Amino acid sequence: MKKLLIIATLLSSMSLMANDVQPADTINGVQIWADTCTRCHNLREPAALSKRAWKYSMTHMRVRAGLTGQETRDVLAFILESKTDEDAK
Amino acid sequence: MNKIILSIGLSSLVASMLLANQADDAKIQQLLKDVKALNAMKADLEGNARSGFQLAGYASFDWTGGSGGSDDFSGVKFAPIFHYQYGTIFQFEGELEFEIDEKGETVTALEYAAGTIFLNDYMGLQIGQFMSPIGQFVQNLHPSWINKLPSTPVGFGHDGAAPTSNIGMALRGGLPKIANLRSNYVVFVANAPRFGFAADGDTIIDATGKSSSGGASQLLGARYALNPIGGMEIGISGATGEAFDDTNTSGTSQNIFRTYSAMGADFMYNDQGLDVKAEYIQQKVGDNVSSTLEGGTWTAFYAQVAYQINGLNIEPVLRYSDYENPENRKKQIAVGLNYLFANNLIAKLAYENDTNSNIDDVSRVRAQLAFGF
Repeated sequence: MKKLLIIATLLSSMSLMANDVQPADTINGVQIWADTCTRCHNLREPAALSKRAWKYSMTHMRVRAGLTGQETRDVLAFILESKTDEDAK
Repeated sequence: MNKIILSIGLSSLVASMLLANQADDAKIQQLLKDVKALNAMKADLEGNARSGFQLAGYASFDWTGGSGGSDDFSGVKFAPIFHYQYGTIFQFEGELEFEIDEKGETVTALEYAAGTIFLNDYMGLQIGQFMSPIGQFVQNLHPSWINKLPSTPVGFGHDGAAPTSNIGMALRGGLPKIANLRSNYVVFVANAPRFGFAADGDTIIDATGKSSSGGASQLLGARYALNPIGGMEIGISGATGEAFDDTNTSGTSQNIFRTYSAMGADFMYNDQGLDVKAEYIQQKVGDNVSSTLEGGTWTAFYAQVAYQINGLNIEPVLRYSDYENPENRKKQIAVGLNYLFANNLIAKLAYENDTNSNIDDVSRVRAQLAFGF
């Protein structure tokens, strides 16, 4: 029970941290993408997944790689901006 | 004169009609383009929804040959990962693992199944079964398309020194930059592991998520990782609590409780095709006079270097791993060569040599085709 109380205390204190949502920064996104993804695995280029699949994959990677919400939005913006019609080939 | 004026008038009329037709054609073409774009936008909007799901995952096929054994197509693994997302506030993720064993039977396992509620930009509350946050290999590097060799480092598989998964709840996320450095964290409470015998009679710490702590105190654990430079992460992790021992031979069915702790330190660095990883894991179980089973320390370490040769899609890999438990010590050197058909489609060939304290050395060759999707 004490351990759950520790989690609850952390939860209540940190959940008060306000979000400071900024417009997605694709420059920061490409930097995070290059630095963070390759630490664990080979890069998945923007063409690898559909726009919708990238949205879900990036949320998954937010949990796995310990990204902030803003970093996740920045990387997703970079990936979506990098997609072209050639991706379908 | 009148004829001339009439001719000029007629010519002007025809010319203006032709020009008007051209303008109309341009307008019609533009309108057609607009309609096409609007239809595409409508179709796109119709496909949008606040919630949705994605099927991801990985699969691999293995071959093993070597000293003291037959040549075998030794493994088939299929691990679908399901993601369900609601808006930007919730995601569920679950991984199943299907494998074929040597008897031809399908072995299934729920690797993880957890939902995360994103409370703010820096914190998610994760509930369910999640991969152990102690160290990095088990949590993030075990999928066969990510692991750079066909096998796991010794001690990092199931029932080794590294905990596999937990059932409980965790707070996790990335932190605001401190002195321009990025960092991330996990704090978790989870059910206790079991200490006892495996099916083959070995003494193990069974640190796979369970739906009961067997009466023992739950675990409290954490991991903190810092990114000193872009491609580098240094993490430390630990957990403390109790393990329940179900080997009670006193005639009662009650479990025996033992002190339990786990700690880990991990390092990852990637730059210009060079990939370096290292990790140390330790689990410790205390003694209890009510049990004949002695406690002990399980430790595992590995260090790995790989380099992707630019333009050739070839990647040599070298790994040393060392696993020690109260009954045995095993060291392994593995050398591999990978060919990347694509970044997520990899053919691996490796040679491994195991040195055991209890049995003779064993060498083997492994090949694997792995892909992530």
